[in-house]
Amino acid sequence: MATLLIDGQEVHAEEGQTILEVARGNGIEIPTLCYHPLLEPHGACRLCTVEVIRHGRSGLQTACTHPAWDGLEVKTHSPAVVEARKVILELFLSRCPNVPVIQDLAREYGVTEPPFPTETPEEKCILCGLCVRTCHELVKADVLNFSQRGVERRVGPPFLEKTRQCIGCGACTIVCPTGAIEIVMEQDAVYKEKPLGPTSAIWVPSMQAVPRVPVIDTDACIRFRQNDRTEGEIADACGACQMLCEANAINFDQEDEIIELDVGAIVVATGFEMWDPAQLSQYSYGKSPNIVTGMEFERLSNAGGVTGGEILTAEGKKPERVAIIHCVGSRDHNAHRYCSRICCMYSLKHAHLVRDKTGAEVYEFYMDMRSFGKAYEEFYERVQEENVTFVRGRGAEVEVLPDGKLRVTGEDADLGRKVHADVDMVVLSSAIEAPHDAGRVASLFGLSRSEDGFFAEAHPKMRPVETNTDGVFLSGVAQGPKDVPDTVAHAGAAASMVLALLDKGEVTISPTTARVVTERCVGCGDCILVCPYTAISRIEGKAEVNSALCKGCGTCVATCPAGAIEALHFTDEQIVAQIEGVLAWV
Amino acid sequence: MGVEFEPRIVAFMCNWCTYAGADNAGIARMESPANVLPIRVMCSGRVSPEMVLRAFRAGADGVLVMGCHIGDCHYSSGNHRTIKRVPLLRNLLGYAGINPDRLRLAWVSAAEAPRFVKVTKEFTETVRELGPLSQEVAHQEVRE
Amino acid sequence: MIEELVLSLVEGIRKVVAERLEELDGVVALRRSSEGVAPHVFRKGDDLSELEIAPRYPLMTVVSKLHKTFPDIRLGIVARGCDERAFIEMAKRDQIDPDRLFIIGFACTEEEAQECHCSAPAPQNLLVGTAPPPGPPNPVVEKYDEMTIDERRAFWQRQFVKCLKCYGCRNICPECFCEACAMEDAAWVEPGLLAPPFPVFHLIRAMHMASRCVACRQCELVCPAHIPLTVLYDLMRRDMETLLGYVPGTDMDAPPPLSVTLEEAPLRVAVEA
Repeated sequence: MATLLIDGQEVHAEEGQTILEVARGNGIEIPTLCYHPLLEPHGACRLCTVEVIRHGRSGLQTACTHPAWDGLEVKTHSPAVVEARKVILELFLSRCPNVPVIQDLAREYGVTEPPFPTETPEEKCILCGLCVRTCHELVKADVLNFSQRGVERRVGPPFLEKTRQCIGCGACTIVCPTGAIEIVMEQDAVYKEKPLGPTSAIWVPSMQAVPRVPVIDTDACIRFRQNDRTEGEIADACGACQMLCEANAINFDQEDEIIELDVGAIVVATGFEMWDPAQLSQYSYGKSPNIVTGMEFERLSNAGGVTGGEILTAEGKKPERVAIIHCVGSRDHNAHRYCSRICCMYSLKHAHLVRDKTGAEVYEFYMDMRSFGKAYEEFYERVQEENVTFVRGRGAEVEVLPDGKLRVTGEDADLGRKVHADVDMVVLSSAIEAPHDAGRVASLFGLSRSEDGFFAEAHPKMRPVETNTDGVFLSGVAQGPKDVPDTVAHAGAAASMVLALLDKGEVTISPTTARVVTERCVGCGDCILVCPYTAISRIEGKAEVNSALCKGCGTCVATCPAGAIEALHFTDEQIVAQIEGVLAWV
Repeated sequence: MGVEFEPRIVAFMCNWCTYAGADNAGIARMESPANVLPIRVMCSGRVSPEMVLRAFRAGADGVLVMGCHIGDCHYSSGNHRTIKRVPLLRNLLGYAGINPDRLRLAWVSAAEAPRFVKVTKEFTETVRELGPLSQEVAHQEVRE
Repeated sequence: MIEELVLSLVEGIRKVVAERLEELDGVVALRRSSEGVAPHVFRKGDDLSELEIAPRYPLMTVVSKLHKTFPDIRLGIVARGCDERAFIEMAKRDQIDPDRLFIIGFACTEEEAQECHCSAPAPQNLLVGTAPPPGPPNPVVEKYDEMTIDERRAFWQRQFVKCLKCYGCRNICPECFCEACAMEDAAWVEPGLLAPPFPVFHLIRAMHMASRCVACRQCELVCPAHIPLTVLYDLMRRDMETLLGYVPGTDMDAPPPLSVTLEEAPLRVAVEA
């Protein structure tokens, strides 16, 4: 443990720490450009120059490389230091006069004009070496390095040629302080450009996610990708997240765990997915980053989102005009026939938010306004009073104009003619639909699906949370589109039914089971083959039905050529009597 | 002239899919032919060839066997046997000289009320064109 | 010539039977006695000169009854191709224990194959004789698709009007081993009614035979009214092969296709529903 003085403040340093680390650990500001806590310090930019006094002698040193020895006295902003930094920034500004980060730093030290001319004013690289160190130490791809000397010195791959060694992880672009490195999508790369901005390979879906725990996307993560690419040779690339995690909560070796549980009831609450508006090309979804779905707008407007809750176009500016289109993919014979139920209200909410946060003009193209709930209609009135322009007519087409603006065309049914609005942002209130694997889930749990694709409840009026399979219940949008209050009520109902079922301690089974007439049975085993529940077994050469397993389908009865199995309460005699009965009228 | 022939059709319907679909058609007040006489069974797999033949023998001019789509059977695979039995029985009827179009297999789910109406309407007209079964084969009187 | 062929066949069979009787409890075959030819269980030491192979009789039924009555008995059987096919379908349904049966298979003559329109006139376990070429299919069956519905109806009405409901076809059939029979169930086949216009008896039998009929032809041979039952059953067998790729009596491991799921025995033809 060392003790030193920084700007007159006594601080303590651990073994191996540098002055910069100690200073930053104690809240003392020292500017840097080429420093990164996860990389070996390089001392390239010299901006962290400080005055170090030891044994009475003072000298200018880079804080990022100088060890924090016991007994040092450090001055981070002495006149000598400030003068040194000023010169450094003059040089930087002369090399890169058009880089905002350099301009801001220079201004802080009173440098506003580059003192020296340059033949390459568009230069952005300050040769800090962060990209080189990242690619070597973390990504372990070794694509970038310095080459040439003096004024010719540059950073890049060997011979500045494109190389397949580069895995396109984008780490270099992220660490580069001046934005000198750009990542270019040649084809669909690991990061598919999303209108709301890229994310890192370890990410929390949103600030309100439950649980709010980050997840590693192993398709994007450098460590996993290098491991897979090199078949285990480079198994420890990056790992920055683990190095930085103070709680030591990151475990790269976690595997999928399959847990087997014996349960008495199952609640299927598998929710919904957003329908993809690209399926109807007239909305031009995907052709402009300013055409977003309702869900994407929610993310944009969320305080924990990319823009901190500000509603901005992809160009980073507040929109002046926004259009909201209802029923995109809903109530549409070319997509989903049903109404997605939640969009009218959230569209009103979005209109309200746009007005409130940006003051932009809002054009809302709607067919009907479904504001059926408690205080919903009153909210609709309020939004009308906020001067949102409601156009009663389905927004039929969104066109991306050459200047990037978006033209929404629709019919205004009240005016009786076609109208269009040229806007900066279009929000498509798009349909919600059953998840793409709903068919598999249905097969697993023996569920049927309604016409709209959501899971079928046992009775549309009287049994909203039960299914045709005993013990399996539905909760929420899995059963059909509904908003939050309705989902809460639905879920509560499902939970109550589960509790009632489990609390009873016994189950009632149907008496309509199959029964073998033993003297007629010859043990041929066809019934055993037929039973979907393996409820029939051969005992001493004759078939026997386990009436606890039998569900009463009667397929065995129809299969037995001898008529040696009967279906209680659905006997052949009973069915024949019905046949005779219905045919009795003349 | 005479009275127009009204076909009598016995329709075996599985409880969970077709019967519910027929119910829904009724609730929605859709019209379907009164010629179709429903017999509810728990699963279309319950319908044996013996039962179908008995329906013909007892006076049906046409027989419908209806149940869940493959993969949707409430009992998972009951309808797998139905889809094998019915085509076989249709062929047999054809070999014996009874028009196989008098027997039809149709999957109608609980959510397909319009399909129920379509199938029953179509089949009623098919059987009407074929004429009464007694024209081909005399019915037996069933003595009690 | 034919008599000579048959004689050498029988002699060959008798020889094999004699060898096998060393380790088997008995061999089921036909025996000629003063009263005629009947099924018999030959034991070690019996006079094998009495062993005959004609007329044809479904001997597997005898084996099945013996297996069930004597759970430890180990038998042999003198079997034609159709006997072996019957054995396979019966063994699948737990009516014969294949571990306790030794099949002494022999080939039918060319004339026999033609008479029976047999496509496999020798068993897989062939020990005596050489398989003749398969007999040509029944011309009625071959040309059946050309008959109109009315022609077919007329054909069968002429045939079924002769039916006395003697149950001979059911009785002789090796695959009709059920303890109770649908044809005796009043719900389906009305008792006391002969020559019903709607031939329910024969239609039900045909449906039951679809996955079981091994084309042994005994039913038609036995019918006192000479009804060409095999025409109907051959058509069902044809459907079994087209629809489900199943030929009864050929594959011990193939499950009865009408009883298993579509995954286990898929339809070979698309069925509209």
